[in-house]
Amino acid sequence: MLYGRFVLDGDFPDVLRLAACGEAAAFARLWRDTHPPLLRYLWVSVGDAAEDVAADVWLDVARRIGSFHGGEQEFRGWLFTMARRKMIDRHRYEARRPVSPTANGELFERPAPDDTVAAALEYISTETALALIATLPRDQAEIVVLRVVVGLDASAVAQIVGKSAGAVRVAAHRGLRTLRERVADATVTSPGRGGVTL
Amino acid sequence: MRVFTASLAEMWFSARRRSRLSPDEATAELMLARRRLGQHAPASQRTLELVLAAAAGPATDRELAGEAAAVTAFLAALPEPEPARRRGPRRIPVLAAAFMLVALVALCGTAEAGALPAPLQRLAHQAINAPAPPPAAQVPRPSADVTPGPGATGSHSASAGSGSSQESSTGKPSASPKPTHTSASQGNGQPTASASASTQPSTSATDNGKGNGGTPGQGGGNGNGNGNGNGNGNG
Repeated sequence: MLYGRFVLDGDFPDVLRLAACGEAAAFARLWRDTHPPLLRYLWVSVGDAAEDVAADVWLDVARRIGSFHGGEQEFRGWLFTMARRKMIDRHRYEARRPVSPTANGELFERPAPDDTVAAALEYISTETALALIATLPRDQAEIVVLRVVVGLDASAVAQIVGKSAGAVRVAAHRGLRTLRERVADATVTSPGRGGVTL
Repeated sequence: MRVFTASLAEMWFSARRRSRLSPDEATAELMLARRRLGQHAPASQRTLELVLAAAAGPATDRELAGEAAAVTAFLAALPEPEPARRRGPRRIPVLAAAFMLVALVALCGTAEAGALPAPLQRLAHQAINAPAPPPAAQVPRPSADVTPGPGATGSHSASAGSGSSQESSTGKPSASPKPTHTSASQGNGQPTASASASTQPSTSATDNGKGNGGTPGQGGGNGNGNGNGNGNGNG
C-alpha cells in the first residue's frame, strides 16, 4: 500500500460520518489511513517530537470533525494544515526554550547527509528515505513530503504552506534535484558499499 | 461553442506549460506524482525514484502501534452532542411572559397615577377604576348665562336671604353658568316672593306690596326687572 493514493476513496464519506458520530471502528480506519503520512511529515519537520505533535493534531480533529465537510483530499488538506500550525507552534516553543544537549542526545541527532545517503542506498527503508529528505532545506523537505508521501497536488500543498502553486512546484523541483545529486555522489564515492541494485 | 473555446485555450496553455518544462522538471513532476519513470531513465533518477517510493512505503508497525490509545483519546475528546436545542425555544415564552408582566404593571401604575393620555386614561377608568381624566377646559356659554333654567326657582327658595346679593346690586347677569346658587333675596327679607317673581311676575307684585319699585329683592336680574314693572302697574 503506497501513500499518496486515497485508499478510502468511495468509502470516505461514510467513514467520516460514522467517525464524527463516535464510531470507534470508523475512526480507527481513518486513523490508519492518515496517521502514518502525518507522522512522517511531522518527523521530517520536528524530529522526535512528531508523536506528541501528532497526538495534539488528532485531538483537534476530534474537536472539529463535526464541522468538516469535504472529500478525502480536502480532509487531508484540512488535517495537514492543522499539523503545520502545530509544527510552527512547536518551533516557536523550542526557540524560546532551547534544549541543552546531553550525552545521550547525540544518539538522536540526525546523521550527516553523506552518511544518510549511504545508508539509504544500502537499505532503502522508510526511515532512511525520510532521513535523506530531512537533509533538505526545511521548506523543500516539507513540500516534497506533502507531495510524495501525503499525495497532495501542487495547489493543495500551496494552500497548506501559504505559497503559490508555482512556488511550490519550484521548491519541489529544487529539492528533488538536490536529492538526486546527493544520491549520485554517494553512488560514485562509495561504490564499495554495495549501492542500489536497479 | 464557449465550452469548446475554453477547452482549446486550456489545451494550449497546458501544452505550453509542458513545453516550458525542462526534461528534468518533467521527470520531477512524474516522480512527485508517484509515476514510474521506466527502464530508460538515467540511473540517478531511478535511484531517486526508489528513495521516494521508500519514503511513501507501507505503514510500519511502529507507526500503527498507538492505534488503541488514539481511538480512546479521540472518543474522549469528541464534543458532547447538544441536547437538541431544547433550551432555546423554552426561554422565549418565559422571557415574553416576563416582559408582558412588567409592561402591564407599569401601565397600571401609570393609570393609577393619572398620567396616561386622556383616551387611555378614560379607558383605564372604565376598566380598572383608575382616576378619571381631568375635564376639558371650560368654555363660557353666553346663552346659559342670560336665560336661567327652570330650576332657578328651587334654588332661590332654598337660599336664605342675608346680606346683599352680588347680582341684585348691579342687575347684571352673572358669568357663572349656575346663577341660581348665588342668588339671595334681600331688602324685604322675602325670598319666596322674590324668587317667584322671576317666574310669576303677577303674584310677586301682589305680595311685595306697593310702591317699592326700587326694592331689589329679586335674585336674578331678569326677575328684578319684571317685578318692578308689574308692581307698579297693579298698585
